[in-house]
Amino acid sequence: MLRRIRTTKKLAKRMDLQYFTQPHPFRSWRLWLSVLVPVVAVVWFAALRAHGQKVYSSGPLSKSHAVFAKRCDVCHVTTLGFFRAKVSDSACLKCHDAPAHQIDRVAFTPACGSCHLEHKGSLRLASTADSSCTQCHADLHTRTGSPQYVREISDFDNEHPEFAVLRPGGKDPGQVKLNHYAHLRPNLPGPDGPVQMDCQDCHRLTGMEGNWPYAAQTMPPLKPVTAGASADMRPSRSRDYMSPILYATQCAGCHVKDLQFDKRFEQSAPHDKPEVVQAFLLQKYSEYFASHPGALSEPVAPERILPGKFKLPLPVPHNRQEWMDQQVMLADRLLFDKGCKLCHVMIETNAPLPTVAPSSIPARWLLHADFSHNSHRLLTCVACHNRTPESRETADILLPGVASCRSCHQERGPKQDAASGNCSECHSYHDWKREQPIKGKYLIPQLQAAR
Amino acid sequence: MRIDETHRKWFIGSLVGLAVAVVVYVPYSRSSPQGAGGGTTMGLIYGSVAFAFMIFAGLLGARKKVPIWRLGRAQAWMRGHLWLGFVSFPLIVLHSGFHFGVGLTKALMWLFAVVFVSGIVGAVLQHFMPRITTQRIPLETIYEQIGRVRLQLMEEAISLVDEAYALLHGDVSQANEQQRAASASAGTMGGLTVASGMQVDEEASAELKQFFQGEIQPFLAQSGSHGHVLADRNRAQAMFRQLRTLLPPNLHSTVDDLENICEEKREIDQQARYHRVLHGWLLVHIPASYALLILGAVHAVMALRY
Repeated sequence: MLRRIRTTKKLAKRMDLQYFTQPHPFRSWRLWLSVLVPVVAVVWFAALRAHGQKVYSSGPLSKSHAVFAKRCDVCHVTTLGFFRAKVSDSACLKCHDAPAHQIDRVAFTPACGSCHLEHKGSLRLASTADSSCTQCHADLHTRTGSPQYVREISDFDNEHPEFAVLRPGGKDPGQVKLNHYAHLRPNLPGPDGPVQMDCQDCHRLTGMEGNWPYAAQTMPPLKPVTAGASADMRPSRSRDYMSPILYATQCAGCHVKDLQFDKRFEQSAPHDKPEVVQAFLLQKYSEYFASHPGALSEPVAPERILPGKFKLPLPVPHNRQEWMDQQVMLADRLLFDKGCKLCHVMIETNAPLPTVAPSSIPARWLLHADFSHNSHRLLTCVACHNRTPESRETADILLPGVASCRSCHQERGPKQDAASGNCSECHSYHDWKREQPIKGKYLIPQLQAAR
Repeated sequence: MRIDETHRKWFIGSLVGLAVAVVVYVPYSRSSPQGAGGGTTMGLIYGSVAFAFMIFAGLLGARKKVPIWRLGRAQAWMRGHLWLGFVSFPLIVLHSGFHFGVGLTKALMWLFAVVFVSGIVGAVLQHFMPRITTQRIPLETIYEQIGRVRLQLMEEAISLVDEAYALLHGDVSQANEQQRAASASAGTMGGLTVASGMQVDEEASAELKQFFQGEIQPFLAQSGSHGHVLADRNRAQAMFRQLRTLLPPNLHSTVDDLENICEEKREIDQQARYHRVLHGWLLVHIPASYALLILGAVHAVMALRY
């Protein structure tokens, strides 16, 4: 029979009431591990920091800087063993000569890092936030007083002003007479019969000219005209611009007949300065006189006589000089008063020969912004230049307005299923014309090696 | 802590919060050009909230150290620890955009995974084990006193065996009333000849001595009883049954007591095993949590600064 009877009192007497004050292996283990594991973690962190730079959780670098992601010291200065978070402008300027913006006008120049935010992923670093621009342009003040640009621009959707050339008073600086409506009509007389012209017959991106359909049949040696030839163009964005309009490539195929000066010659007058044309005529008539003994008795063809310009009959030439003067005078008048004037503005002066006004066709219309035709190549030309087919006046400015841009570009961009409307999409802060070459400082292994 | 209906509000609140976080994450992730990540605004929000939850969960230890603080009931803190800690891990996964990263962030994610899994295991154990322990161990004692109780059982067993020796060697003065009454009977029990009266039975004495010194004493002296023959209840019962046949009836009550002592020893051994299971996860969870909080703070400072 069981004699052991456990009463609560008996069980309680077994206990040491101060047991919780005494060490116990389980509690001791818990305490020591609670100290040891964090210490090991901290030591591990210190070792990791000493042998690498993966402890900073700095976020991914932009695409252009990703190659030296392991070299924090390329940009960050070390202080007390830790990298300083702020990057000085001098670190950026080691590799980038980024000329300051309107240096003689702006009230202040922000630090590089305040606009170009790194460690935000593989974004285009030049694509700065609008706030970087609107911090000044929302209420523009300059050191010189009144700004020459619109004072208040705080967003693209509502406050971006119309392009300057489209504002009242703006005008086309071009001096070449062109009727787009006439050129886009069907059945135009082309070099080989009736043609229907298209925008791309005359307007193509630089670098992709190919065979111009209306180029001269025998192309004279052309001056090399490439992107960057104009001061308005930036070489780095060669495909953004349209190839310049040249007589030889875009006009000559059809308009060569407008430079014909005499049926006795198959060759037309050169498309060049009046002095060159004059010399060409002298040479041609001199050669003709030498090869045609009866030239003095030849009558003047009626089509060479411009109505109202001469009193008929013309005096009969008695010698070579009189004949030469008369022929060249008639050719000059036919060309300078008719052929050239079809497209050019001729300036009459007291000089024996007129002056041709510079064509002044702008290579860039938006001088304070960058526009890439190449990026917009999926659109038809008239999608933006919608007034072109009906334009009959040379003075018509066919540049699309900002409203046309807004039909696709919006402030919030992709978030609204629209193209980006950020300032940096079109505008560049830095004055790249003043950019200076940079002398590199690193070897490839130096950039890739971990510190 | 048992997860019962008192957790319902915490449970629903946690699930709703987590669902909101996931619902917000989907458009955020799709609209982020670089994908979701800790450095984005939403990523920072997820990370900040999760870290705040982690700190709250970590403060449970401090709250336990100072139980007299009037900062809410301990049970409320425990529920908060359980559910906010539970939610914080998915939030950190959303914060990271389902990436483990490299270096410090990778270590943090693994550390948090260890803390999270050990916490889940602990919560499950804390839910089921106490009831199992109560059912299976009626003689449950204070865990820290198990060693002390074991020594007391040993002393008690030695005392019983000394009494039995005295009886077997004729020292009636140490016999109790029951033993004196049993000593009057003699003869056959169950077909076996048993010792009778207060006769000295050297063989029985030797058997008792051998059994006590060979089996009972080592069993009681051993902390834990893995592999010992008396650790098996069935085998122990068979052995004690055999011992009874070898001892005179007046000592059967002593054998019963010895068997009872061994039974109690088995229970406290089992309690010790249960306790190690029930609290062993804390040896992983708590140290890892401290390391996580420290490295998490370092990560937060580093990430926000750089």
